Amino acid sequence: MADTVKKVLDPQLDRRGFLKGCTMAAAALGMSEAMIPKLVEAAATAERPRVIWLHFQECTGCTESLLRSSHPDLARLILDIISLDYHETVMAAAGHQAEENLHATVNNHPFILVVEGAIPTKDGGIYCKIAGKTAMDILAEVAPKASAIIAIGTCATFGGVQAAAPNPTGAVGVQDLVSGVPIVNIPGCPPNPVSFLGTILHYLTFKRLPALDNLNRPLFAYGRRIHDHCERRAHFDEGRFVEQYGDAFHKLGYCLYKVGCKGPETFSNCPAVRFNDVDVWPVSVGHGCIGCTEPNFWDTMTPFYERLPMVKIPASGIVGSADKIGKTVLGITAAAVGIHAAVGIGKRLIKGKSSDKA
Amino acid sequence: MATYERHHCWSLLLRLFHWMFALSIIFLIVTGFYINTPWTNTMIEGSASFPMATMRYIHYIAAYVLSSAVLIRLFLYIFGNAQERVWDILPITGRNLNNLKMTLLQYSYISNKHDERLGHNILAGLAYLLTFIAALLMIVSGFYMLYPESAFWAKWGVMLFGSQQFARYLHHITMWWFMIFAVVHIYLCIWNDCTEPEGLISSIFTGAKFKHKA
Repeated sequence: MADTVKKVLDPQLDRRGFLKGCTMAAAALGMSEAMIPKLVEAAATAERPRVIWLHFQECTGCTESLLRSSHPDLARLILDIISLDYHETVMAAAGHQAEENLHATVNNHPFILVVEGAIPTKDGGIYCKIAGKTAMDILAEVAPKASAIIAIGTCATFGGVQAAAPNPTGAVGVQDLVSGVPIVNIPGCPPNPVSFLGTILHYLTFKRLPALDNLNRPLFAYGRRIHDHCERRAHFDEGRFVEQYGDAFHKLGYCLYKVGCKGPETFSNCPAVRFNDVDVWPVSVGHGCIGCTEPNFWDTMTPFYERLPMVKIPASGIVGSADKIGKTVLGITAAAVGIHAAVGIGKRLIKGKSSDKA
Repeated sequence: MATYERHHCWSLLLRLFHWMFALSIIFLIVTGFYINTPWTNTMIEGSASFPMATMRYIHYIAAYVLSSAVLIRLFLYIFGNAQERVWDILPITGRNLNNLKMTLLQYSYISNKHDERLGHNILAGLAYLLTFIAALLMIVSGFYMLYPESAFWAKWGVMLFGSQQFARYLHHITMWWFMIFAVVHIYLCIWNDCTEPEGLISSIFTGAKFKHKA
């Protein structure tokens, strides 16, 4: 029986696992092989940066996916190259002791802030409180002193499921509340741990954050569209589609576009990096992409098994697909045209062609 | 007997714009429906059959034709002849406001009076301006979806739409405007041609309209 308890708690990492992790991160960053020794050097010798990891409105899924990867090397590598001073899920300290650790780091040391979870802002932010303070207050206290902020997961970046309409707690992402500190967004539900590791290693090696897109996501991980790297793309171009889950075409591995795959509008490295070190990602196991790395995906990507969101007509209670509503309006227009023509003809029949302008 | 005289109304460029616009929209709508809901399923592997790729290819060619047509119309809105300039159809002068009122009265069969003018009536002109703006929306959202990795379109796309999916949603909803517009436009052209014998329909081929001799 393997010593699983010791494996989880022991931060020691063997050299093979360490090099493997660095190589994976270098591949994710799109760096040349020649850069790997530099990454290794930075990860091994640089002073371990202090990291404060704050949890707000979230499910801890991002932490879970990081720590429970089938292969523990990645999580251990991350925990080995950073000094995790405050992390509610894994820290040993509790209560006042934990608070003291947090304040000692915030006030006395440079640190990187990682935020997991959305921040509720409605009613003074009372919907998420830790140690008697609201998430808004904690963020306002910690964020301005951070040297950089990494928002991990779709909740911390864009609000996530809490921010889905009607957003009862007024949840927002970190970038909506904090300015003046560089912010990197690593969205996903959960994001790939490699994207997080790559960002950290980039920061350690080059002393700056990686290049970002317009939504502050690192380009190395979110610069390309899922659809353009999908293994089922050939089926899309050649017009072979799954009509419904479980049908013959599904068994043949055809394109999931017609059952609502959002790969064509989602940016992530999922098809290239894949998950859990076992080379899987949703589309490879037969489920369409739900677009979890995009802003407001709970509102714009649902229904998950349709191509487009439903149309809501304000104050009428009418919710329908765009095409259904379009057809209705077009039908009404055609009917109105018919009535207009009939009225004109009727009027002419009654009045006769008396008003001939000729 | 009435006597008519021939007036030059639409430049060759405007007529070119009209037919580029109309034909590209037909192709865009048919291929657009296919791209959203592919109604074929080839089910044949290893054959030279690319229905989705072909439909997308046609869609993009038509999209470039539509974009060119919109550029032509933009040029004509500023530098076109008296009937083609945007000032001619904006309800900002007394004459134009009066024309809008009279057109509405005539279309609702309340009045038989026809406010004679060479170019568009104001109601039509405003509908065309709205369609022009809808076409601009289609172009911006379309190029954002076509070139998601270009820095220019990514910047504007995120600023205007927030995400690709929202751009796709607006692109799809706005398409219905063009179909509704086409129904009303074709009907009212026929209606006007029956009501006022001024050669309205042939003017988009010949560029000439016929007016009563004063």
